[in-house]
Amino acid sequence: MTSPILRIEDVHKSYGSLHVLKGVSLTVQPREVVVLVGPSGSGKSTLLRCINLLNPPTKGRIWLEDQEITAPGVNQDRVRQRIGMVFQEFNLFTHLTALGNVMIGLIKVRKMRKNEARDLAMFELERVGLADRAHYYPAQLSGGQKQRVAIARALGMDPHVMLFDEPTSALDPELTGEVLAVMQKLAGEGMTMIVVSHEMGFARQVANRVVFMEGGVVVEEGTPQHMFEQPTHERTRAFLRNIMQ
Amino acid sequence: MQDFIDLLNKVTPDLLRGTVVTLQIATISLVLGMIVGLPVGIGRVYGPVWLQRVLGAYVTLFQGTPLLIQLFMVYYGLPDIGITLGRLQAAFLTLGLNSAAYQAEYLRSALQAVSEGQMTAARAIGMSKWQAIQSVILPQAVRLALPAWSNEAVAMLKYTSVVFLIAVPDLMGQAKILASRYFAPIQIYLIVAVFYIALVGVAYLILTLIERRARIPGLTGDTT
Amino acid sequence: MMGLFQDLLTTFNFIVQGLWVTISVTAVALTVGFTIGVVMAIARVYGHPALQTAVSAYSVVIRAVPVIVIIFILFFVISRYVNLSPFWAGALALGFASGAYQTEIFRGAIQAVQSGQMIAARAIGMSRLQAIQSIVLPQALRLALPAWGNEATLVLKDSTLVFAVGVPEILRRAQQVSARTFEPFLAFGVALLLYLALTLITTQALQWIERRYRLQV
Repeated sequence: MTSPILRIEDVHKSYGSLHVLKGVSLTVQPREVVVLVGPSGSGKSTLLRCINLLNPPTKGRIWLEDQEITAPGVNQDRVRQRIGMVFQEFNLFTHLTALGNVMIGLIKVRKMRKNEARDLAMFELERVGLADRAHYYPAQLSGGQKQRVAIARALGMDPHVMLFDEPTSALDPELTGEVLAVMQKLAGEGMTMIVVSHEMGFARQVANRVVFMEGGVVVEEGTPQHMFEQPTHERTRAFLRNIMQ
Repeated sequence: MQDFIDLLNKVTPDLLRGTVVTLQIATISLVLGMIVGLPVGIGRVYGPVWLQRVLGAYVTLFQGTPLLIQLFMVYYGLPDIGITLGRLQAAFLTLGLNSAAYQAEYLRSALQAVSEGQMTAARAIGMSKWQAIQSVILPQAVRLALPAWSNEAVAMLKYTSVVFLIAVPDLMGQAKILASRYFAPIQIYLIVAVFYIALVGVAYLILTLIERRARIPGLTGDTT
Repeated sequence: MMGLFQDLLTTFNFIVQGLWVTISVTAVALTVGFTIGVVMAIARVYGHPALQTAVSAYSVVIRAVPVIVIIFILFFVISRYVNLSPFWAGALALGFASGAYQTEIFRGAIQAVQSGQMIAARAIGMSRLQAIQSIVLPQALRLALPAWGNEATLVLKDSTLVFAVGVPEILRRAQQVSARTFEPFLAFGVALLLYLALTLITTQALQWIERRYRLQV
C-alpha cells in the first residue's frame, strides 16, 4: 500500500452565505485518474480550486504528499507549482506565443535560464503535439490547440498532480478529441489526474475511479464499471442516465 | 507675398529655437508623467483601499481643473509656502503631474480590461501576485493602453503651448515676442500653427509606427 | 486666524464674480461648437465627396493646433475686421476650435446609427434631408452624449485660455486679487477649488442626462 498523493478531509467552502462545499473528503493515490461528475453548481470546480488553494477552503484540511497544504504559513505559490491546473477557458497568456506561455513559468517561477527553459518548453509542446505551433500567438490557434498548449504550460512546472476543470467544455465537438487524446496519453504515462468532465466515454476508458458530487457533497464513488452499470444511489443513476442520453 | 517670405525668413530661427524648447518640455513631461503615472495606475487597481482613495483624489484634482490654473498655482502659488521653482521646472512639474493623472487612468482601464483568467492562470503555475502583475498583467495592459497613450503623447505637444503664459520661451513664447516686434500677429500665429501641425503630424506618424511594431494578434486597444 | 479668514473671504468674493463669465464663455463656445459640429458632421457623412474632403481637412488641421493658438489667430482676425469685445472674440474662437472636435464626435455617432434606419426612412417616402433630420440625428445625438459630455468638460477647462486675451474669467480674477493681496497660493487655490466644484457638478449633471436619454438598442 503506497501512501496517498492527495488527501482531502472534510473540506468546506462558503462564499458569504453561500455554502458551496459541505464537507468533502477524498483520497487520491499516485498514478490514479479520478473523474469528478455531477450537475452544475454541485461544487466540482470549487473543489479543484480548493485543492490548489486558488480559493482556499473555509474549513477542513488537505495534504499533498506529506505536507498539510492548508496549514498556516504554507507557501501557497510553492504548492500551486506542484499542482498543475487546466481551465475550461484555457486562460493562455494573450501577449505570449505558445512557446512563451510554457517558458514564462519556467523562467519566473522555476528560475531556469532562458536556453534551458526554451528546450524544456519545446519538449513539453512536442508532448502535446504542437512543436510546429511554438511561435503562434493564442489568437492564431484553434480551441483544441490552445487547450493543449495550456496542458503543456502546466506540465512544464513538473506537477505531481494535474487538475482539469472541464477541459473540453468550451470546445467545438470536433476539437474535443485531440485534447482527450493528450489527457489519455498523460494518464498512460502515470500522471495523477483529477478531471471534472462530462465526457463519459473518457471516464469509462481512462478513469480508475468516478466520483459523483451533488449539492456540495460526494454522493457516491467507485470504479467506472460500478458507477455506470450498478450505481448504489438513485441520484447517481438519475444523473448518469440523463447525461448519457 | 514677398513681404510674407521676408517675414518668414526673419522669424524662422527664433521659432525653431522655440520648437526645441517645446519638444524638450513635451518629452520631459511625458517621461515624468510615465514615471509617476505607472505606479499610480497600478496602485489604483491593486493597492489597498486607502491608497486607491488617495490616488483617486489626485487624479480627480488634476483632471477636474484647468492645466493653466495648475501651472499658475505651481509657479506663482507654491513660493507662498516656500517652494520656489524656475519657469522651466514649473512647466515640467505641472505638465508631468497632469499627464501622470491621465496616463494612470489609461493604465487603470487597461489593467481592468485584462481578463481575470490571466491572473488565475498565472497564480495556478505558482507565480506570486506581484510576479503575475509584472510578467503577465502589465505587459498586456501596456499594449492595450498604447493607443490612448499615443493620443496623450500627441496631445502633450499641444498642451505645452500654455507655458508661455509664465514666460517660458517655447514656440508660443517666441511667437508672442515676434508678433509684437513685427506688428504682424495674424501672420506669425498662422506660421506657428503650421509649426504645430508639422510637430503633431510627425509625432503621429512615429507613434503609429511604434503601435504597429508592438502589435500582437488578439491584443489591441482599439475599442472602436 | 481672523486675518486668514478675512483674506479668504475677500479672495473668494472677488474670484467668484468670474464664475459667471467662465460659465458664459463655456456656454457660448459649446453652442457655437455644437452648431459647427452637427453641420460639419452631416456634410462629412452625407455631403459631396469634395465637401467631405474639405470638412476632414478642417477637422484634422484644427485639431492639430493648440486651442490657445486658434484663439490668438481668431482674436486678431476678428478684432481687425469687427469691433467685438474680448469676451465675444474669445468665446467664438473657443467655439470654433471645439467645432472641430465636435465634428468628429457627431460624425462617429451618425455613422454608428444603423444604415437600416436611413433605408427604412427612405422606404416610407421621406426625403434624404427629412430622414437625416427626423430619424438619424435624434438617434445620433443620443449616441453622442457620453463623448459630448466629455468635450463639454474639456471646453469648460479650456475656457481659462481666454484669460490670455483679457477676459475677466476665474483665472484672470484670481490673478488680479493675488496682485492686490500678495497671496497667490490662496488666490489660485480658491480658483482651483471653484473649478473642481464646477467640473464635478457638470460631470454629475451630464451623467444624469446620459442616464435619462440613453438609447435602448
